[in-house]
Amino acid sequence: MREMIVSELSLAMQEIAHGFAHFLPRLIVMLIIAFVGWVVAYLVKALLRSILHLMKFDKVSENAGASEFLQQAALPSASELVSRFAFWVAWIGVIMLGVSVLGIGGLQQHVSQFFLFLPRLLVALFIIFFGFLAASFFSRAALLAAVNANLPSPRLLSLSIRVIIVFFVVSMVFEELGLAEQTVLLAFGIAFGAGMLGLAIAFGLGGKDLAREFLEKRLAREGGHEKEEEPSPL
Amino acid sequence: MNVGEVDLLVGLPTHNNAETVGTVVQAIQTGILKNFTRERAVILNVDGGSKDTTCDVVTASSISDIRRAYNTHALRTLPAISVRYGSSPSSETALHTILAAADLVRAKACAVISPESVTIEPEWVSRLLHPIYREHYDYVAPLYRRPKFDGILVTNLIYPMTRAIYGQSVREPYPSEFGFSGDFGNQFLLSHNWRDEHGQFGTELEMFLNAAGSGLKITQSFLGTKGRAENRSDDLVAAMRRTVGVLFLSMDANFERWSADMSRHTGLAANPEYEIISDSSRVNRKRLKQMFSDGVSQLDSVLRSILSPSTVGSLHQIAALDEESFRYPADLWARTVYEFAASHHHSVMSRDHIVQALVPLYRGRALTFMVENRNSSAMEIENSIENLCGEFEQLRPYLLDAWNDGKRGSHA
Amino acid sequence: MVEKVDAAWYKRAVIYQVHVRAFYDSNGDGIGDFQGLAQRLDYLRDLGIDAIWLMPFFPSPLRDDGYDIADYFSVHPSYGTLDDFKSFLTAAHQRQIRVIVEMVLNHTSDQHPWFQESRSSRENPRRDWYVWSESDTRYKGTRIIFLDTEMSNWAWDPISKEYYWHRFFSHQPDLNYDNPTVREQMWEVMRFWLDLGVDGFRLDAVPYLVEREGTSCENLPETHAIIKELRARVDLDFPGRMLLAEANQWPADLRPYFGEGDEFHMAFHFPLMPRMFMGLKLEDRKPITEILQQTPEIPPSCQWALFLRNHDELTLEMVTDIERDYMYDSYALNKTMRINLGIRRRLAPLLDNDRRRIELMNGMLFSLPGTPIIYYGDEIGMGDNVNLGDRNGVRTPMQWNGGWNGGFSAADPEGLYSPLLLNPVYGFQAINVASQKRSEHSLLSWMQHIIRVRRSTAVFGAGSIEFLYPANHRVLAYVRQLGEETILVVNNLASTAQAVELDLRNYKGRIPIEMFGKNLFPRIGTLPYLLTLGPYQFFWFRLRKL
Repeated sequence: MREMIVSELSLAMQEIAHGFAHFLPRLIVMLIIAFVGWVVAYLVKALLRSILHLMKFDKVSENAGASEFLQQAALPSASELVSRFAFWVAWIGVIMLGVSVLGIGGLQQHVSQFFLFLPRLLVALFIIFFGFLAASFFSRAALLAAVNANLPSPRLLSLSIRVIIVFFVVSMVFEELGLAEQTVLLAFGIAFGAGMLGLAIAFGLGGKDLAREFLEKRLAREGGHEKEEEPSPL
Repeated sequence: MNVGEVDLLVGLPTHNNAETVGTVVQAIQTGILKNFTRERAVILNVDGGSKDTTCDVVTASSISDIRRAYNTHALRTLPAISVRYGSSPSSETALHTILAAADLVRAKACAVISPESVTIEPEWVSRLLHPIYREHYDYVAPLYRRPKFDGILVTNLIYPMTRAIYGQSVREPYPSEFGFSGDFGNQFLLSHNWRDEHGQFGTELEMFLNAAGSGLKITQSFLGTKGRAENRSDDLVAAMRRTVGVLFLSMDANFERWSADMSRHTGLAANPEYEIISDSSRVNRKRLKQMFSDGVSQLDSVLRSILSPSTVGSLHQIAALDEESFRYPADLWARTVYEFAASHHHSVMSRDHIVQALVPLYRGRALTFMVENRNSSAMEIENSIENLCGEFEQLRPYLLDAWNDGKRGSHA
Repeated sequence: MVEKVDAAWYKRAVIYQVHVRAFYDSNGDGIGDFQGLAQRLDYLRDLGIDAIWLMPFFPSPLRDDGYDIADYFSVHPSYGTLDDFKSFLTAAHQRQIRVIVEMVLNHTSDQHPWFQESRSSRENPRRDWYVWSESDTRYKGTRIIFLDTEMSNWAWDPISKEYYWHRFFSHQPDLNYDNPTVREQMWEVMRFWLDLGVDGFRLDAVPYLVEREGTSCENLPETHAIIKELRARVDLDFPGRMLLAEANQWPADLRPYFGEGDEFHMAFHFPLMPRMFMGLKLEDRKPITEILQQTPEIPPSCQWALFLRNHDELTLEMVTDIERDYMYDSYALNKTMRINLGIRRRLAPLLDNDRRRIELMNGMLFSLPGTPIIYYGDEIGMGDNVNLGDRNGVRTPMQWNGGWNGGFSAADPEGLYSPLLLNPVYGFQAINVASQKRSEHSLLSWMQHIIRVRRSTAVFGAGSIEFLYPANHRVLAYVRQLGEETILVVNNLASTAQAVELDLRNYKGRIPIEMFGKNLFPRIGTLPYLLTLGPYQFFWFRLRKL
């Protein structure tokens, strides 16, 4: 009995060693690929960073208010963020390639799916980035305009606009990523429609006096009445 | 242009000014015929796509041998030419056209006059051109007789700031009428970046700043009562964009000039006349105070990105005051403006938004100015402005620090 | 005699104004005379002029350069005898040169026997020949013409103890034209000279013949009536003789002197002349076109007399104060050059001796509508002497050559009636006829040439004028037309080169032929006709239909 166990063991050991020996080169190759991938990714990151620097990408995102947003979220600057993202995508991509080349079964499909998914992910990130930028910009613009025009509840207005835009952006992202498309679309449609209806009712019934006052003020301003209250600044 | 070489050129930028331009052109002509009888002159109307008869009115008043001149006898031809520079108004392009024309005709002295100056007198032309043509100044800024609370944006922001930064006590650095020498006009024509980045307006301020920054001979000339056409709406935000926005941008461009120690002052002695024309105390104090306070509270997040925490704190403090005791002190105002300028320089957010954010704060300052001076004489108002200028000048190092520093807002 | 059939000879003529005293001295007494003038007629014939206008040569105390006449029927002994005059007249006519004589109708010298008699007593028969008054307040408000010397138009006569009226110097009492005897007598004076054969009169100071209370005493209807009468008599007995009016008035006020072709044949266009100088200095045609626009139409038989300079000051009476100041500052900065309301300088000094400007001004003189009058000496560019009193600076001796007294006289230089010009620029050694005759390119030769060109067509004298108003106001352009003949004149008034586009659509298809060189220029099309002109350059184009 002991001899059987020993011989089975030694057979198993042999097979493991064999399998290992078979696998090891691939592992080593894999590691090499990973290392090369890291180098490539690093280069990509550096290159992208300098390109973005040249394009003054940080400046652009500052102007749009993204920098402020990023700072608040304790994230690094926009161009840094993009470069790092590119780094990871590149590295993972190279590793994936390596994995597929090594023929580790079952993973092939995942790899190709991953690569197919990447562009959509990119677009989605793109949409999020600029969407939030826009939300920030327009909500602030609305806030300032409302304050300067002495409209009631400027913050509410500003927030509403931000919410609407964010909502819109998120819907777009979901659609892009193909996650619960129909649900999201429907939800968005319902929310938007309801919101509009609500506003109409509010204005039509409850706020008709306010609306009238508002319109009067608008038209009156064009007639120059406001000048009586405030002397010309220039 | 068949005008040939001239000694004097008067530019008239117009857009749908048919109602008033006739009077203005006549006054210019009379002024030239009376005070510069022998000089060769031309009136150049640069039009931004008027749909009315503005251009026709101008060209019809040309003094040539084809039609007889009216009362004033003209020794020589005085052409009035109209040129269309575009289909929509842009004071930058208008000024560009005027400068290019002045260069072509080698004009020695030039003036720009607003077609809306319904209160213009013939002497205005002389007062703008005489210092250039006969006394060899390079730039003449106007001075007006105004109601005492007219132009607070200028007296409380643009003037003190320009004076503190550039060392020029020019009361109207953003004039609709001014004079300049042909040489300076040409220099500005060549050195200025003629783009539309400044929006469509504000180049006049740029031009003044250029003159100030180049150390040219600048003087002020009293013209008369400032007039404007009746129906012009003066949107405060637009006005601030045109002036404050341009001023902040120019600080970027001229940093080397103003950051150096400007201990020299072009002591321009002219005192503007303040005629207490009408009782303009129909100011709605309550509304202004409310707009200020609302602005401070509603824009809190925005202001925190622009101003230092202490300034924001001070603003909240004064916003909390009631109407009677509300005061926006001069030093706080100066600090506010400087911090805005620095933030604008660092583009902490959209620059246009920065300018817009200043509007409610300006209202508060305007209110304080009007309340403090409601019974003041012209001399007292002058002193008040002088004090404000002093604050701005004292805080200059603070501005430089903020400018170079870069840290703004309330980030942790 | 020159053919009298040619009644409109004055419309095509070029007239030469000369003072016999200043032209040529034949007998060595230092004063020019008729014999000398006769000897120089060939020069004038070669110059190409058609008529001579003689300044007053009558016996006179010469306190106003001969305009103070003491005897209407004789010749001043310094200039010769009446026979000398007749010989000269004959010689002139032989050379087809007409002679126009100066006649002062308005006043005489106080040395004239008529006045001597008139003033001797209040009862003298000739008392009424002059205008007397007990007080000097009559005709109040009448302007004084010789502002620099006269304080009033009335002078006190210590002999008859009354005031007498004088519009000019106090030694030139005005004749009383309300007296028919006076009028008859003056006609006799004119008849005398017309009988001798003179071809016309330049009637001096015509606006002032008659005075009336409450008026300006100028241009009165009574004056016009007298002129009409004189003209009628001339036409009747001496057809073809010409009457030229000297009336320094605005064109509109001058118009009546032509009547309906029944008063003067010609009148000086005084207001145009200073404006030509002004336009040149301003480099702007406006003064010139304005005055010509204001110039009224005149009867077809009448003619304007144009001139650049004459024996008097360049008068600035008919300009505004602004214009006068401008002219003074431009042309007579030195106050000695100013007299009365004018500038006493000759053409060449006024134009800085600039040949181009002299040519341009002469070009305009010869091409604007009217009969041009050349002042003696201006054809060689003579200078002036502002240090001589009154207007004598422009009446210096004619400079014939570089020799003794400039060839004017054999007398001692100190004995001449007037000093010669001696400076290196205008002196007789530099500017004289002899040296200019030697060169084809001298001013004299050029003047001969332009007179020839002018004479080659009747358009300049008798044609209509239509101004073109190109956008370039430095260019004065006009079209002269007579019948089928059309001439385009373009003048550059600027000291710099100019380009001008002319609207010649009415002359489309014609070919401009430049009249001096006779070269063809591009045919006129529908587009504006572009011409470029050098400083002070001018063109005369015959627009020829092919």
